[in-house]
Amino acid sequence: MVALVDDLDDMLAAAVGAAHARRQTPTAAGFAHERGHPATWVVRPGAPAEVAEVIRAAARAGAAVVPLGTGSRRRTAPLPVGRPRVLLELGRLAHVAHLDETSLLVHAQAGLTGIALENLLVPRGLTLGDFPPAALRSSLGGLLAVRTPGKSSPRHGSLEDAVLGLSAVLADGRTIHTRVAPRRATGPDLARAFLGTEGTLGVITQVVLRLRRRPEARLFDAHRFASVDHAVVALAAAFHKEARPAAARVYDADETRAHFGDGLAHADCALLVVATAGPRELAALDRTLIADAARAAGADPLGAAPAELWWRRRSGHALHDAPPVQPALVLFAPWARLGAVHRAARSAARAAGRTARAHLSRFDDEGACVFITLLDGERADPAGPARAAVLASTRAAGGLPPGEREPALAPALAALKRALDPDDLLNPGVLP
Amino acid sequence: MPGPRADAVEHALVALLGPARVSVRAADLATYARDMWPRALLAAVDGGPPAHPPDVVVWPETTDEVVQIVRLARRLGAPVVPYGAGSGVCGGAVPLHGGITIDLKRMDRVLSIDRDALVCEAEAGINGEHLERELARKGLTLGHFPSSIYCSTLGGWLATRSGGQMSTRYGKIEDVTLGLTCVTGAGDLLETGRHGRAAAGPDFTQLLLGSEGTLGVITRARLRVRPAPEVRHLRGFVVDDLTAGTEAIRRVLQRGLQPAVVRLYDALDSLMALRHARKDASDGGGDGGGDGGGTPAPRRAARRPGPAKDLVSSLLARLGLASGGGLTRELVEAALSRPRLVNLLADRAAGLAGRGCLMIIGVEGSRARADVEAELVFAELTRAGARDLGPGPGERWFARRYAVSYEMPRIFTAGAFVDTMEVASTWERLPDLFDSVRRAISRHAFVMAHFSHAYVDGCSIYFSFAASAPNREAAERRYDALWHDALTAATRAGGTISHHHGVGLLKADFMADEHRESMAVFHALKASLDPDGIMNPGKMGLPLPEAAPWSR
Repeated sequence: MVALVDDLDDMLAAAVGAAHARRQTPTAAGFAHERGHPATWVVRPGAPAEVAEVIRAAARAGAAVVPLGTGSRRRTAPLPVGRPRVLLELGRLAHVAHLDETSLLVHAQAGLTGIALENLLVPRGLTLGDFPPAALRSSLGGLLAVRTPGKSSPRHGSLEDAVLGLSAVLADGRTIHTRVAPRRATGPDLARAFLGTEGTLGVITQVVLRLRRRPEARLFDAHRFASVDHAVVALAAAFHKEARPAAARVYDADETRAHFGDGLAHADCALLVVATAGPRELAALDRTLIADAARAAGADPLGAAPAELWWRRRSGHALHDAPPVQPALVLFAPWARLGAVHRAARSAARAAGRTARAHLSRFDDEGACVFITLLDGERADPAGPARAAVLASTRAAGGLPPGEREPALAPALAALKRALDPDDLLNPGVLP
Repeated sequence: MPGPRADAVEHALVALLGPARVSVRAADLATYARDMWPRALLAAVDGGPPAHPPDVVVWPETTDEVVQIVRLARRLGAPVVPYGAGSGVCGGAVPLHGGITIDLKRMDRVLSIDRDALVCEAEAGINGEHLERELARKGLTLGHFPSSIYCSTLGGWLATRSGGQMSTRYGKIEDVTLGLTCVTGAGDLLETGRHGRAAAGPDFTQLLLGSEGTLGVITRARLRVRPAPEVRHLRGFVVDDLTAGTEAIRRVLQRGLQPAVVRLYDALDSLMALRHARKDASDGGGDGGGDGGGTPAPRRAARRPGPAKDLVSSLLARLGLASGGGLTRELVEAALSRPRLVNLLADRAAGLAGRGCLMIIGVEGSRARADVEAELVFAELTRAGARDLGPGPGERWFARRYAVSYEMPRIFTAGAFVDTMEVASTWERLPDLFDSVRRAISRHAFVMAHFSHAYVDGCSIYFSFAASAPNREAAERRYDALWHDALTAATRAGGTISHHHGVGLLKADFMADEHRESMAVFHALKASLDPDGIMNPGKMGLPLPEAAPWSR
């Protein structure tokens, strides 16, 4: 084994160049608790073919391969111990291989971040779509390898659905390119095996993503409702009438105060802000459909200003007066459960001697994400015992904590893993 | 299967389901020996016993019965072929290695319709039109309208990634499927999509859709439904040529406008479409669109010899080579057996007619939205140089939109065949895809085409072709050579070999070219979900298990 590990040093250097393969001591890597671990390398391949080389080298040495993307996301699974491991950092794979402006497609390498790609697209009048900027911070590979709700929009669906094809390296070192076509009827969508599997079945090296033209018009509006429930009901009614805003958000009264000051909030009110986009006539239509539904639910029209402020903050063009507190909890809930989840969060927090305030955001066909902030007086209490109580009661109300696996699918996933990666080379320990 | 094992399988199935829902009658076995694959029709018309009958046909009524059947099949080493309504056109339901054919049509219930969440759950064996009618009662629609809607099932749609005529608005079936209940080849129950977008892990729904029974039997699906459209605006346009037409469509879609249907016919197909339209008008047909979302009954096909011959007769008449109805059968067949010449003449005729290409476009939805969107779509087309023909052509297309499927079989007299091929690509590759596939087909058959199913990023092309040969063997040779050349051309041009018909037997040998190395992922799915390889063996280019008693 030792001989193999030393060989791995040479093999990795040969694969990516000595400058991009670094052997780490556990302490240097910040894994002090892992003293005595055989060896960890961090390699930074500069081309998809180098990823394949790294994987083949790791396989020969019996080392685990852990794709890191740009490493922006907190790792939830422990790194494998007891065997050498190669951390695959894909930040150098940050090129646009092909921008197809005829078909509105981009073939982009997996290490490019969503934001960086968006910055390349904007001057060309293109965009990935209405996805929340905050959701695009990670590398494309990381964004797509980890499945969480909220990477979606009412007009453009989920980011996953924007994937027309991808390239990936399998555990046996083979590189695959799925067939690119607007739709196919030639078997399962094989790219989906790599979306949401966190690098356990293959390492995504390149993706083909659908693009949109930047909207001709963008319009804003805001409404104040008697409660969060009223706002959700109105928004649902507008969606049923085919309103397709670019984005919408509902703040409860405390959250309204925290984000917009005291001027807008009433006792138990809720604030709805919306942005609509598209050809001017359609953007106006969407705004009208929502305004009509709001009026029918008894809301007060507040004009565009609050929504414009929200939009500028959302896209990083305006700052909050005070930096916003990191929410203690994010839950996804279907439309019909949104109000109940919000109420459950409030009362469970109160019972635990805390205050919960929340906003509902990232609405799509299925539902929305509820971002819950817990406060002990004025002070944020993101991790105290109240969090567990709020989590339990919001779950009971129909909220779904993102990132949970469906246990019923675990055997099928494990079998697929065995078929594609029999030696458990890729990101071991992540799948149950 | 050898007789004794077939008997054992039959007895075990009778013990499970009772005698009434298990059949080994010759008539049933012959019925389930094929679907509507034109190559199989050639053989059927020629007579003789079917080449690949199942050993036994069963009609389960519950998912649990399907689980028991698959486990039994696995234990006894029998292949399993799921069967919906048998309208597939690629041989996907042909029991190539015999075994158990599971007809799902008794599993035909709508389980729930949630008007607020806009979700419907139904069993896989439900007839497409019945499902749509159930939804219409609640003011909803699935928006899935394949021309086979009266003779296909939900399960068949899911298994083949079916597409409906309004796919530009509603998407294909894979775009509206939220979750599946599937009995895998291992005999396990897999329920996908229960947690929606909150779930981590891969989207197993998308890994099962399109698997054509090779991974398991889909027994239920949860589907996204939409409010039934309040209005429908249908319109015909004429464009100078296909380049102008596809460019106009691309502009509309990439502006963020979403028509429900867009169809662009090549010069010859336009000639035929307009001719049908006129004929309908003079027959007092064209019963108009705008019927509020209901599905009209299929029109009885007129008393004609069949579309291919009819088409050729009309073409020859148009070219002055024969007079209208007085064309001899010999002349038609002579023309069908000389495709290059006919295609050349057809090109010239269409060129001489100089009428350009017909486009049908429809916008539907809520009144508020569809009215605004239709204005924008029609204005964009006009800006792109299209000339407005008014609502007539669109409404006439709408009235006849299911007719073609029912006319097709009648052409299959000895040696003649018609078939269709639907390929797709990104807009960038579309002109090359059209040219190369058309050239490949035209060496073997009389061909025409239309573009339909348009998306922001690309479009599909639907080729219709007809040919004849002196006898069945010669026709089969021609059929195989045509598909070989055309599918190879599609792959080389960077398109997909199927947009919505599926793979089955017809395109199985071309899956390796379609997917290249990524076929390894399909193999892995197969190995993990169907470890003994009993599910629909011999299809989709998947390898046969070496040890199975029924595989040589």
